[in-house]
Amino acid sequence: MKNRWQRSVPIHGVPVFTKPFYALGAITLSCVVLCIYRVVFGLGPASGMNDAYSWGIWKTFNVMVLTGLGSGGFAIGVAAWVFNKKSFHTVMRMALLTSFLSYASGMTLLAIDVGRPWNLYWMLFPWKWNGHSPLLEVMVCMSFYAMVPLLMENIPPVLERAYYTHPEKRALIAKAESIMKRFYPYVIGTAYVLPMMHQSSLGALMLLAGDRVYPLWQTPFLPLMYVWVAGYMGFAAVAGTLLLCCLVWKRSIDLKVLVDMCRVEAWLLGSWVVFRLTDIILRDAAGLMFRADRFAFLFWLEMTLAAVGFGLLLRAIKTRQPGDLFFANLITASAGMLYRFSPSSFAFIARPGAIYFPSAIEIIISLGFVSAAIMGYLYAVKTFAILPASNEEWTAMTTDPQFKSFARPEVSAASMAAAHD
Amino acid sequence: MTMTRRDLLTKIAIGSVSAVAAGCVTGSALTGVVHAEEPLKVLPEAVGMLYDATRCVGCKTCVIACAEANNLKPDTSADGLHQAPTDLNAFTKNIIKLYKPASGEGFSYVKQQCMHCVDPACVAGCSFHALTKNPKNGVVSWTSDKCSGCRYCQIVCPYHVPRFQWEGFNPLIVKCEMCKERLADGKEPACTTVCPTRAVIYGRRADLLAEAKTRIKETPGKYYLDKIFGEEDGGGTQVLYLSHVSFDLLGFPSLGKESVPEKFLKWQKRAYSYMAVPVLLYAGMVTVIRRNWAGHEEHMEHEEKRTGLRSQL
Repeated sequence: MKNRWQRSVPIHGVPVFTKPFYALGAITLSCVVLCIYRVVFGLGPASGMNDAYSWGIWKTFNVMVLTGLGSGGFAIGVAAWVFNKKSFHTVMRMALLTSFLSYASGMTLLAIDVGRPWNLYWMLFPWKWNGHSPLLEVMVCMSFYAMVPLLMENIPPVLERAYYTHPEKRALIAKAESIMKRFYPYVIGTAYVLPMMHQSSLGALMLLAGDRVYPLWQTPFLPLMYVWVAGYMGFAAVAGTLLLCCLVWKRSIDLKVLVDMCRVEAWLLGSWVVFRLTDIILRDAAGLMFRADRFAFLFWLEMTLAAVGFGLLLRAIKTRQPGDLFFANLITASAGMLYRFSPSSFAFIARPGAIYFPSAIEIIISLGFVSAAIMGYLYAVKTFAILPASNEEWTAMTTDPQFKSFARPEVSAASMAAAHD
Repeated sequence: MTMTRRDLLTKIAIGSVSAVAAGCVTGSALTGVVHAEEPLKVLPEAVGMLYDATRCVGCKTCVIACAEANNLKPDTSADGLHQAPTDLNAFTKNIIKLYKPASGEGFSYVKQQCMHCVDPACVAGCSFHALTKNPKNGVVSWTSDKCSGCRYCQIVCPYHVPRFQWEGFNPLIVKCEMCKERLADGKEPACTTVCPTRAVIYGRRADLLAEAKTRIKETPGKYYLDKIFGEEDGGGTQVLYLSHVSFDLLGFPSLGKESVPEKFLKWQKRAYSYMAVPVLLYAGMVTVIRRNWAGHEEHMEHEEKRTGLRSQL
């Protein structure tokens, strides 16, 4: 097999229902049971949240952090379609799938997290909205993005599978595909403007908390910084996950694409760190970096992760080793995750003396929603053509009895040779 | 405000149009809803309370009266007998606290409840206007049928006031609403009615401010820095405070003169003004995407012909 990514190919020869899959299923199931407990008995008994720290990990981790990691569909999409980075088209399907799953999981958990979810139906009535509220912007924009453009972007692999498995409906499916293609540029346009809006509004959420967010984080540029972080987090999450999947399922690794991704990440991360430091210095908050307190520690931890991530990215671009690439992306993603997590948790100043630590139930529910997303991912990559591979891999896949309908007997030997070239 | 049938139909019509627009062009439903506005000013008929810490004897009658007037169940969690809440909580909208330094000298009581900000952060942040500021008297109140229970008000309130009922499946937000039902009946809030030393009084904000200034003038040196907390702190509040000890010690934050929404949401509001920036961004992006799309499609068709494998989107 050539180490090139030419098209998306389903993972074949591996069952969907494996031991890890069942383990994830068990976590998801316990999460569902605990969600019922939460609905009946309320947020207090189910979580460690209190009046001082009224937002727990469901919002600060599952929404703030994981939708950042799920910004691949947005970040890589902008690079591929707006900045015309052609090599990124092969990883788009995988990026869009992870984005959809992380958003869907986060948004569903949000409905468990809010105390009066039945009132969320006001979202359907624009004249009842408070247009100034960053939270309204996040709720409306995120759900619309996940349910319309992002969902539509994920339809092509499903149609493609149907095309192969239902030969009698090919004309209809081809028609649906051509309609989809006609509207696609307009759809993906919204798929890039909407995340810019809500990813920045996630920052604006904490803006309104004013001085309750520690000055090393609180800045008028918080919305801009949040989108910026989402950019490199999205790239890192996709690149890292792709590498992991390729290693686990022994697929070809296209180093050129991955190195290109790392280059974009290095630019985004480097410029972000410079911007962050400049902003702190211009706001006269630099002195706070050198105090011996938890905030300074947190800040330096984040800066260290960012600096190490940047260094590892540069090294990985040079060495082109899968291991180096993986760790570079892992550390880069961690830097972004910590930054996105802090303003609403560690760097949030609650009433003096108040503490928050997530309860066991809260943690299991949080993990349950992540597990459900991973299960969706495992199922999808083994069913639809999501993960990138070479054309040869596609031919190999069609010999698998599970995917024999994907074979194209009409393809001539000459073009087969051209495909494998 | 009563709504006629015609108003309702007009509203539905306007709403449907904006809903359709939301589907077509990203978020353009926000047009007309989101536009830059001047920060809120003190309403001419704004009402409020003036609490004078030097007059308070800490009897907590106001705490009991508040719970009674608001139909809140007595909080006896402290010793199982006395209604003695230790802080604002799911059943306490008003509390008297004691500040006492180790030396015992210069102690002070302090009353804590919603400050009824002139430009409240909670109202600015509330998604569906569950928290609203009365356009006449400026009282900040809450309605259950609009609240999604997101607890954003707790995150943004600079005074740490709103409380959430953590128990049960139908939780409410609990905060002082200046006894709005009593005000509607022409009565004063419960706490100001019962205060035996008149440490807390009710009135028009302008009158209370004048009263506070008179007290400062008549007793020089009595009040801390001759300051009225709430006169302009955080854009001003409708509940005003006088104290003989530093406001920091009584648990008040040091806020600038600007309100939180004014200070922190200025640029956010401008960026979304008439949705101009997002719409322009969308138009620009689609133009570029369409150009790149043409090239991509050509390449895909070529590959499909060359390899015989169906192109993928």
